Amino acid sequence: MSSPDDVDDVQTELDEAEEARTAPTLEFYGGRAASAIPLGLFVVWAIVQSGLFGISDTTGLVIGMLVSLVVGMFFVKGDWKHYANAIFAGMTERVAATAIVAWLWAGMFAQLLQDGGFVNGLIWVANAVPVSEAVLPTLLPALTFVLAALLATGIGTGYGTTITFVTTFFPATVLLGANPVLMFGAILSGAVFGDNLAPVSDTTIVSAVTQDADIGGVVASRLKYAFVAAALALVGYLIAGQVMATYPTAGNDLPSGNAVGLVHLVSMGLVIWTAVNGRHIVEAISWGIIAAIVFNVGLGLAPANSIVQFVAPATAPFAEAFTALPILTIAGPNTPAAGVHGSLYTGAAGFFPLIVLTLLIVAAARIMIQGGGFEAVQDFLLSTVATKVRGAETTMVLGTAGVNAMITINTAAEIAIAPYVARIGEQFNINGYRRANILDANTSALGYIFPWAGGVLAGYSQMPALVEEYGVQSMLVNPVDVWPYVFHGWLLFFVFLAAAITGYGLEYATDREAEEVARV
Amino acid sequence: MNLDAFFAGIGFRTATPSFDAGDEFVIVVTGSDDDTPIARIGDSRLRIPDAPRDSVHTKVRVRVESFDDADHTGTATYLETVGDTAY
Repeated sequence: MSSPDDVDDVQTELDEAEEARTAPTLEFYGGRAASAIPLGLFVVWAIVQSGLFGISDTTGLVIGMLVSLVVGMFFVKGDWKHYANAIFAGMTERVAATAIVAWLWAGMFAQLLQDGGFVNGLIWVANAVPVSEAVLPTLLPALTFVLAALLATGIGTGYGTTITFVTTFFPATVLLGANPVLMFGAILSGAVFGDNLAPVSDTTIVSAVTQDADIGGVVASRLKYAFVAAALALVGYLIAGQVMATYPTAGNDLPSGNAVGLVHLVSMGLVIWTAVNGRHIVEAISWGIIAAIVFNVGLGLAPANSIVQFVAPATAPFAEAFTALPILTIAGPNTPAAGVHGSLYTGAAGFFPLIVLTLLIVAAARIMIQGGGFEAVQDFLLSTVATKVRGAETTMVLGTAGVNAMITINTAAEIAIAPYVARIGEQFNINGYRRANILDANTSALGYIFPWAGGVLAGYSQMPALVEEYGVQSMLVNPVDVWPYVFHGWLLFFVFLAAAITGYGLEYATDREAEEVARV
Repeated sequence: MNLDAFFAGIGFRTATPSFDAGDEFVIVVTGSDDDTPIARIGDSRLRIPDAPRDSVHTKVRVRVESFDDADHTGTATYLETVGDTAY
């Protein structure tokens, strides 16, 4: 379960968000709505780049966000330094660092598993199960959804799950013939499930703390929604697995399976066990990294210099004296180019463009908050749409979903919208558990659907390396193709939309009191 | 963790909950009607005549005195202020 430290960390993030709302406001030509220009322009750029032009380049999105921030500046009244300061304040928010840490640690861990033959282990299992080669690819998306959901619920990070699965299960199953787009959708769906349900998930903690409800009670109260959506999603993947094209010819390129790689189930299990026992996700994944290194080197799955390798240029003045070290070589015709290489390097470096993008997106969100854009949306909703409890709940669902569609880092989006969900919900004495569920479900769901969403980009950013390693072009799934297939994300959204309209699961403050937040 | 927590809220709930005289609970005072503090619970309303006039947007404990199921309104007695709203 979550530790009090986790709750304290979230409180720090919320205090920063409160500061953003109360900090000197930015005034824009065109009113408060104009504060949405940087984020809005970025979304347009992302749609044009990846949707219309089919270019899935994270650094291209970074440029889009930079250009959008520059354009937004021209709509600011008064001294532009306040706009610049808002960018700095946004980029130093703790919430962005949380996502970044998850990506870096999970990236290193997943790469170690990949380089340690975990994929071959999975293929060995697939060949060992008594299912025909024609049937197996049709079942893999459903199976992957379940496994990804279990991992994400255990480690509490959907981003980490996405990265781990895209670099392990994804190539293995695509080589076995599964549909790549459907597989990516299934992985993202599992990430949504875990982000929504895991007690150690950042989004779970934020949803509970911001709605004055205890984390254990919040998790318990959301099963009635999550399992309905998950059951339907599972059926969806079983049906889509049958209907959508499989690629059995990929079997020609299938690497020979090797059971030894399955030892990394222990590495994964260690991460889950540690996280579930309340250790910080950084500590949990670090133990997984250490275990994976020990297995890789100890069992001969990957040599020490595949973990980290220094390739010094031949002209290096002192390198020659250290060539006895297994991790140092001098550049030559049979070595990689001079530089640093290895699993840890590749795993972390793959996220550098995404990290920059994340920082800029959170900055753009800060501008919208300080510019009153979010407040304008809230005022509009309260005065026109949310005049009855059904309308209020529908507004909370659509508002949370909408903000998460704009702000692609889901925890950042959740922190931004949380006060409005609380305010609208309390106007109708809607129970804190219910408010927390509406907030977290739609945050979790929408953060993994759209092509510019952090979860989608985290998975996608690993795919070019897979194409290079396995030589299968279909392992590069354009983010714009996957959004219809994130079944659990969509179903969770629609379950809550239906719940808001019909009153399914609705509880009022008078029904029961939430326990204290710290009692977890 | 109480097992009931997993099943609480399952089913469809009315937009206009009703209450019995003597019910006690904590609610947020959501507004005022002719200077009388009121709490909106879904689309039902409870008037709380003796609540402090500045109690809007605070959490108060009340006891229901009467409730009319026909027009979903009632009256409650203010017992104590227990805290602020979430924001």
